[in-house]
Amino acid sequence: MGAHISIPMYRRTVPQRYRLAGQRCTACGRVNFPPKAVCRYCRTGTGFDSVRLSGRGTVYSYTVIAGGGAPPEFSEEARCKGSYPVVLVELEEGPRIIAQLVDPPEEGITVGMKVEAVFRRIYEEEGVIRYGFKFRPV
Amino acid sequence: MQGVAIIGAGQTRYGDFPDLGVKELFAQAYFEMLRSVDRGLDPGMIQAAYIGCLSAGGGFQLGQLAPLLMGHVGLPGVNAVRVENACASGGYALFNAACAVASGKFDLVLAAGVEKMRDVSSSKGRYWLGVSGDTEYERLAGSTFAGIYALMAARYMHQYGLKREHLSMVAVKNHRHAVNNPKAQFRREITIDQALKGAPVAYPFNVWDCSPTSDGAAAVLLCSAKMAANFTDRPVYLRGFGAASDYLAIHDRDSITGLAATRKAAAEAYRQAGVSPREIDFAEVHDCFTIAEILAYADLGFCEEGRAHHLLEEGVTQLGGRLPVNVSGGLKAKGHPIGATGCGMACEIFRQLRGEASEPSRQVKNARLALSHNVGGSGGTAAVFIYQGGGQ
Repeated sequence: MGAHISIPMYRRTVPQRYRLAGQRCTACGRVNFPPKAVCRYCRTGTGFDSVRLSGRGTVYSYTVIAGGGAPPEFSEEARCKGSYPVVLVELEEGPRIIAQLVDPPEEGITVGMKVEAVFRRIYEEEGVIRYGFKFRPV
Repeated sequence: MQGVAIIGAGQTRYGDFPDLGVKELFAQAYFEMLRSVDRGLDPGMIQAAYIGCLSAGGGFQLGQLAPLLMGHVGLPGVNAVRVENACASGGYALFNAACAVASGKFDLVLAAGVEKMRDVSSSKGRYWLGVSGDTEYERLAGSTFAGIYALMAARYMHQYGLKREHLSMVAVKNHRHAVNNPKAQFRREITIDQALKGAPVAYPFNVWDCSPTSDGAAAVLLCSAKMAANFTDRPVYLRGFGAASDYLAIHDRDSITGLAATRKAAAEAYRQAGVSPREIDFAEVHDCFTIAEILAYADLGFCEEGRAHHLLEEGVTQLGGRLPVNVSGGLKAKGHPIGATGCGMACEIFRQLRGEASEPSRQVKNARLALSHNVGGSGGTAAVFIYQGGGQ
């Protein structure tokens, strides 16, 4: 039994997952990702311009999810790979986002490492492959 | 506001109880609570009940768990509601109960919590535990709560020089504390070598950095301070209670080397109590993962941010130290039946402040003020309480 992200729920976030669609607050100019109803920085702005994030950033923190510790919908992936890294990335535009890291460097992941977003398969649920962003070292 | 006193508290042992369901666990805690009221209590006097629970037995009772449980103990007519804020469900049950008494609306209110985690398969268990965070993004990154706390730990290590050994020192300390606690799930010591070499879960955590899945229940009876003398000469006063929220998702927070919800809840509790962190004699804090206890030290004002691991090195927070933390064994070794945890902390403090820790070796001596701290998930919510005993 996996975390149930239904197909309609997934579809509503496709702009974020496929294109890293963020929002620039028209009041303070800062960039929100994922989208908010009220800007998370100035906490007053409610008007936003759509902005596509570069996907470039640095590792703010990281972990490596071990096979036994993976959520059920990722357990097959964890079984195949033994483990997989998850990174919290600070993007050039400001927001932090969380995703898997692919092609981790042999010498190990470090805080501050430069990464870029790539489009990848996330997992499959209800017969639909879910795609989205992951990161890879630059 | 009316003053709030605890006049009774009870809890099951935490652990793996295949023969007990949520109703039976709740009843055990409830009856132990009734027996602890020094002059006895007519249960019909209880006016309201707030019951913390996350999964209601893995989802078997999705709605209206509270009346089900109250009916089971012969109180079907009591105003009862289930309270949910993930791992802080019990703390929020206690917070709501305290507010209900403080408001003057009620004089006798039950705060309780229960969780039945050991019935469900480990895969379903990980499902339940993973959907109280930010499901849309954190979870789709393939992370769990362990993974989110692991991100905090890795950042803390990078920023403040915390070593892997410091994480293990929390596990070793709390396991040692649990040995003499008859209510604890794991009553055995572990060595630092063991704690360093467990099976990996999420770097930098291994299995010894993580609290277990547990069955259990806890119940606390709150009474207006002015009426407490009718029931006992030794009430424990709830001097301050605070609760606060934060952005649910780790990527929305400015800092991940502390929990803003804890800081805000603690400030509120200290202000209400008129007490400073230096006056606290011992504390039960939320150590769902070893880093969580380390973050809590600074968030609760026991040290400066980034200095917490020095308290561990100096033995400040072990039993016998200046500020013992988690003398019950904490979530790590006493156990963590989600909805029960926050009320179970209050049970431990009630007994300790009355000099009734069941084994003399684990009694905190000469304690007057204590604090408990209960966190929802990775810090989306937190509740903090300050208790005052009348001496042992």
